[in-house]
Amino acid sequence: MYEYVLAPEQDVVISSRVRLSRNYEDLPFSPKLTPEYAEEVIERTADAVFKTENGAAFTLLRMGELEEDARSRLVEHHLISYDLLKFVNRSAAMVSSAGTVTVMLNEEDHVRFQGLLPGLQLERSAEMALKLDEALSERYPFAFDPQLGFLTACPANTGTGLRASVILHLPAISGGGQMGAVMQTIAKLGLTIRGLYGEGSEAQGNLYQLSNQATLGRSEEDVIRALSAASSQIVEHERGMREEIEKRDMLQLQDRLMRSWGELMYARLMTTKEFMRRYSDIRYAASMGYLHAPLPGLDSLMMDVQPGSLGVRAGKLISPRESEILRAKTLREELQKLVAE
Amino acid sequence: MMMCEDCGIRPAKFHLMTIINGDRVERNLCPGCMARHQKQIPGFDFSNLAGILNSILEDSKAAEQEGQEAELEGYVCDQCGMTYLEFQKCGMLGCANCYQAFKTPLTALLQRVHGNTQHAGRIPGGVHNGTSIRMNIDRLKQKLQKAVADEEYEQAARLRDAIRALILQLDRKDTDIKVRPQERLNAEDEGEMNEHV
Repeated sequence: MYEYVLAPEQDVVISSRVRLSRNYEDLPFSPKLTPEYAEEVIERTADAVFKTENGAAFTLLRMGELEEDARSRLVEHHLISYDLLKFVNRSAAMVSSAGTVTVMLNEEDHVRFQGLLPGLQLERSAEMALKLDEALSERYPFAFDPQLGFLTACPANTGTGLRASVILHLPAISGGGQMGAVMQTIAKLGLTIRGLYGEGSEAQGNLYQLSNQATLGRSEEDVIRALSAASSQIVEHERGMREEIEKRDMLQLQDRLMRSWGELMYARLMTTKEFMRRYSDIRYAASMGYLHAPLPGLDSLMMDVQPGSLGVRAGKLISPRESEILRAKTLREELQKLVAE
Repeated sequence: MMMCEDCGIRPAKFHLMTIINGDRVERNLCPGCMARHQKQIPGFDFSNLAGILNSILEDSKAAEQEGQEAELEGYVCDQCGMTYLEFQKCGMLGCANCYQAFKTPLTALLQRVHGNTQHAGRIPGGVHNGTSIRMNIDRLKQKLQKAVADEEYEQAARLRDAIRALILQLDRKDTDIKVRPQERLNAEDEGEMNEHV
């Protein structure tokens, strides 16, 4: 019997993330933040986080002290935002041992709490971030106004300071040319959806990020509920389309998807771009039961072979070609292990 | 004025249309965000085109903008020294006090970005601190009375919603779990908050 534990809706939803933006009321915000004040933010927050119930599980990482690949690895594993690296000289992150809770320091705001879980688990992700926020606000007051809520450096986050997002794997909707229709519907709900790897560029791996836009005038609960509901609808739509495609010609679908398995098992050179395409295919195949590989394992492997993470694995600076060789080798070995389990 | 769909802060001056896997995606963008998008579109250099378009737009709006800028120049934060024009350029405020110092233009901006100017979420330590929620409710109720007296019904409706949200928070203050969508949903359905308003 082939079994593994799946998070809710993990066949379509890769992960759920909630970020809360906060600023200390007595310190200047990002544009006016001097190195001394930035250090004060780090010391205050680290002190307070370490003193919480699970404080011992956190590690403080100063971005300036990490190698470039190690920083990229954190971004690739969604533990920190890409924007945190815009402020390498002053920014830091506190990462929990399980990787589910992160505190980003001196990004656009003084403090950003993040809860991250696999599958569709926005409520629990929010709970983790809010719990930490509450523990810290008891020690140092965050900038808050009764009318406007939490005051953030950018007015786009004012209010709850809450950004919730889910990463969706939508090969059937996307391949069926229906992303445009989905995007239009989503926009009407005050939500936004875009390719995970940057706006304007193509959505590599058929991965999309769905998130809320407004943060003022709606409660945290409302936003989480709306986003969860929209995610569930997209999940149903994607599942429906996968079934329809299967019904039309299962053998052809299997043939197309499993060819990517063959490429991944035997290739000797693999670029990130090609890998993302193949990964989408085998994840699709695994979710349909054509391939007996655990989805959580495939997803963590996907992050592990991104450029920065590969560099960390190599333990030294590697050229693009060495990177392609190492990616192909890692995939052959790790995929073999995943199907053997 | 239409705002940029990316940053929500600066006025939109470009209409960007991209085709992704055969799907058409259209966005209205400001020059800053447009420039960011151009870098991500391979094989086509928009930089000149954008520059030309930008200068045409800037020229035609120059007169109008001059008037606006003169008006906005007056806004300076006495705490951190940031000016409103500086804020418009970098998109970020300098300190908590900027929200007071730039109140008038910022309120208009928040309304455009969020469609709202009244916070309806948690307050710091709110769950353990019923007193400050009550203070907020009292304050908002006063504002509501004034809004009704002034026949500003849209504002009154917003205040009513904010009061409802706070009352719900107050009701929940003894519970530990903060995110309970279902509970909130039921409370709203029953309309049990009407008596408070």
